[in-house]
Amino acid sequence: MSDDPKVRVLSATHLARNILFQGETISILHDISLDVYHGDSVAIVGVSGSGKSTLLSLLAGLDLPTSGEVVLFGQPLMSLDEDGRALLRRRQVGFVFQSFQLMSPLTALENVMLPLALAGETNARERATDMLARVGLAHRLRHYPRHLSGGEQQRVALARAFVGGPALLFADEPTGNLDTVSGAQVIELLFELNREQGTALVLVTHDADLAERCGTVYRLAQGRLSAERS
Amino acid sequence: MKRLAAAWRFAWRELLSGELTLLALALLVAVCATSSVAFFADRVRQGLTLHANQLLAADLAIESDAPLPSSLVLSARQAGLQVSGSQTFPSMVTTAGAVALASLRAVPDNYPLRGEMRVRLADGKVRVGAWRPAPGDAWADSRLMARLGIRLGDRLRLGNLSLRLSGELLREPDGALAGYSFMPRLLFNQADVTATGLLGPGARARWRLMVSGQPVAVDAWRRGVEARLPAGARVESVEDARPELRSAMTRARRFLGLTAMLTATLAAAAMMLAVRRFLARQWQPVAVLRCLGLTGTEITGLFATVLLALALIGGGLGSALGYGVQAALAGIAIPDAGETLPPPAVWLIGLGPASALLLLIGLALPPVMALRRVPPSAVLRAEVPPRSVGMGLPPLAILLLIALSLWQMDDWRLAGWLLAGMSGYFLVAGGAAWCLVLGSRRLSRGEGAIGWRFGVAALARRPWLAVLQVVALSTGLMALLTLTVVRTDLLDAWRQSLPPDAPNQFVINLQPDQVQDFNAMFAAARLPMPEIAPIARGRLLAINGRPVQPAQYRDEQAQRLAGREFNLSWRDAPPEANRLVAGQWWSTAAVDEFSLEQEMAQAMGIRLGDLLTFDVAGTQLVGRVTSLRTVAWNSFRLNFFVLAPRAMLASRATSLVAAFYLPPAQRGFADRLVRRFANLTAVDVSDVLDQVREVIDRLAQAVEALFVLTLCAGVLVLWAALGATRDERLADAALMRALGASRRQLRTVVLAELLWLGGFTGLLAGSGAMLLGAFAGWKLLELPLRCNGLLPVLGLLCGMLLVPLAGWPLLRRVVRQTPLSTLQAR
Ligand SMILES: Nc1ncnc2c1ncn2[C@@H]1O[C@H](COP(=O)(O)OP(=O)(O)O)[C@@H](O)[C@H]1O
Ligand SMILES: [Mg+2]
Repeated sequence: MSDDPKVRVLSATHLARNILFQGETISILHDISLDVYHGDSVAIVGVSGSGKSTLLSLLAGLDLPTSGEVVLFGQPLMSLDEDGRALLRRRQVGFVFQSFQLMSPLTALENVMLPLALAGETNARERATDMLARVGLAHRLRHYPRHLSGGEQQRVALARAFVGGPALLFADEPTGNLDTVSGAQVIELLFELNREQGTALVLVTHDADLAERCGTVYRLAQGRLSAERS
Repeated sequence: MKRLAAAWRFAWRELLSGELTLLALALLVAVCATSSVAFFADRVRQGLTLHANQLLAADLAIESDAPLPSSLVLSARQAGLQVSGSQTFPSMVTTAGAVALASLRAVPDNYPLRGEMRVRLADGKVRVGAWRPAPGDAWADSRLMARLGIRLGDRLRLGNLSLRLSGELLREPDGALAGYSFMPRLLFNQADVTATGLLGPGARARWRLMVSGQPVAVDAWRRGVEARLPAGARVESVEDARPELRSAMTRARRFLGLTAMLTATLAAAAMMLAVRRFLARQWQPVAVLRCLGLTGTEITGLFATVLLALALIGGGLGSALGYGVQAALAGIAIPDAGETLPPPAVWLIGLGPASALLLLIGLALPPVMALRRVPPSAVLRAEVPPRSVGMGLPPLAILLLIALSLWQMDDWRLAGWLLAGMSGYFLVAGGAAWCLVLGSRRLSRGEGAIGWRFGVAALARRPWLAVLQVVALSTGLMALLTLTVVRTDLLDAWRQSLPPDAPNQFVINLQPDQVQDFNAMFAAARLPMPEIAPIARGRLLAINGRPVQPAQYRDEQAQRLAGREFNLSWRDAPPEANRLVAGQWWSTAAVDEFSLEQEMAQAMGIRLGDLLTFDVAGTQLVGRVTSLRTVAWNSFRLNFFVLAPRAMLASRATSLVAAFYLPPAQRGFADRLVRRFANLTAVDVSDVLDQVREVIDRLAQAVEALFVLTLCAGVLVLWAALGATRDERLADAALMRALGASRRQLRTVVLAELLWLGGFTGLLAGSGAMLLGAFAGWKLLELPLRCNGLLPVLGLLCGMLLVPLAGWPLLRRVVRQTPLSTLQAR
């Protein structure tokens, strides 16, 4: 990973997404272009239903656009099949979700080890333990998600997202299910890790505090993206 | 590959965390049911043959009125068989003060080869086992002892020889078949035959050669010698002589097959629901795994491996459990089964894992393939899994499993009928469930507060799930009803097919002019009148003018019927215990007609309307087949393959045969009969009757024991069917609570849904059980067709009671909890 601030990790051009609903074509996103560079922090804000989650899944390659192109780490996503995109995610992308999405039968430690193990990396246990300590959960290694509070669960999710040292992290309303105090803790951690690891952040949020901290803020309205602050 | 270890761990945790418990349990029950029945049926099949052979005291016997050539004995020895032989002849037995005519039997030291002798020795103890009189000793039955007025330890004389009476003969294993008659019986050792001087040339004796050994070897030897038996000799096997025993075995096998089918169906239904729930719950975690970079192939591989492991472990465990259950069943059906029953065939061990694999492939593969297509973006939305995937495969797997469980019936036509019936039931239940969904939709359209309509509408909100639920629930209830209500009906009917007063005595060679006196003796003794039928010996010469040759038949029984003389009889009215299945019974004026037993007609390729030519005492009789009958061979009554009208046979009947029941206390009456009519030959079949009764009783008990397993499967299905929608119901309820529904309203909603569902499935199940019961009684057990019209009503009530009862914990949870906690429980 280079420290050159001008390395482009994500580039989207003229993205559009239509969906077919009961025989009618509904256009959710039109003509969206966006670049994200190494170490950037980007917030996408907008009212509910404006298409933020849809955009996020297109950028992360979880779904394909109706037209337009996404280039992730120099790889056009269209040129990869589903499995190819999965492999790309495995190595370089982290995720944080509004509803945490931890694996309920696994302990906190095992949840954090999971991406390392899937990428076939060594000393997963130590690295996961360190990462959990880093988010302040050294004492909860063996706890199952159901025994953790929402804030703690989201911190485990953060640890899971950052443990592989991803170049890019996507987060969909990471504080949406948390109270203000836990939310603030999570935001703090998110930006600390962003600084330490140089991971670029793409955040979808409602949270004004969270958007405030980002280098760039886009607003999504009526399917169009406009820069609010950069 | 190392990467997958983590995913594996996840999957195993999932297994242990309880999500898979239901699936594993259902699998265990399905495999346990199919394999235990397979094991048990196989042992019973082997064991009953053995048991039947005990009635022969051998695996095969050859009965002859002349000494059998030594080449026969030699060839049996060369074939590796055990050989034994006895001579039976009538002679006078004398003591100091008395003389009596008895049937003597000389047995060698290796008699009996099979079965048990029952004898009371001088010490007063009863011995059961492979016993026989030692040289110098004799055993007499109680009648001979009474007639001679002697006791154990006294001496008696046979011809030139004096013997000591050392035992009272209680039962000869082959007594019922070896010409046991009303004549008193005396058994002595073959070593003493020569010394008696009774068995010289011209003696009226019957020689019996008995062999035993490996079934294959016995069969091969039988085929070899049958063709070159001397005149006057014939092969005897129990099934030839005792069709009623064979019939009992066949019925037992069918019963077991039916039970196995129901159990397997139940367990499969539970599995289907469990698989659905299990995989529906994996939807979100799989989407997360996709986000973390697991490819579709890896996802499929992961779940396929987990399920494969489950199939092997569950299959192996189920098989082992099935072996245990089988051993318990065998213990019930046959005391000291461990020694007397051969172990089940080894290859049957593979059946458990095979059926587990079949079930999992059929039931779980389609949803696993669907998991592969989980879009990773699902994780960002609370997306619901697709409702229906691979609809064709699961029914196919279930039908295959049913076929597997039916296979022990040994009757493909019946199994085919049952299979078709089950498929038909699934279709009808599915169709009815769809109608229910439509009906619920319509019903719920009315306006009004949240109440029962809302509950009914719940079914319409998840149509496919509702259909699956109705089919599974009603199948479960149907099986339970069949096994509780119908089973008792069927078992009782089966037991009653051999009533306590079934004839246990047969008398042949009764002359027409003796009938009046014969009957008078019964009247005088206040005994019920005997059943008497005329007999004419006849041989089938031609069918539609074409000569009949034994060689043209593949069926063994048909060969025998084509080759030999058998008994014909005439009647004015159709016999009571017979059922006309084709054609019409003749008028009293009829001359040239025949009525045939259906299976015999089928085996010989004779159809209604065919022209038959019989040779009866040198005269050719020609007539058309105008009716076909089914005959209850197991009834122990007088039954005939071929019947003719009075005008055709009355003048040619040579003698009569009588059948009647004598209570044990009145056995003396038989003696008086024989003394009064010297020409009569009498056969006492009470031993055989007892044995058949015992077989029926034991098997019925085993079937009942198997029922417990089915009950487990039924409970599993109820649990699975209601659990399948537990999450959705809780979510619905939480929402309604949040919207301000009162507890009472919620209770009404849930109860309405459960009652509606229960009543409907119960009605379906009751109707299904009624049809299945009628079919089972009619086709499987050959009882008269009978429909239990109460079953649909009973089903309705059961459903409305059981389903809400099973749903009670859910109901309580829904009503008790706060809206928040219910929401969090998701
Ligand atoms: N698969 C889909 N089917 C139907 N509508 C969809 C689908 N995906 C998204 N939408 C619609 O697109 C719009 C944007 O959704 P989403 O991206 O989830 O918005 P946000 O995350 O900003 O709240 C919504 O109106 C939603 O209903
Ligand atoms: Mg969203």
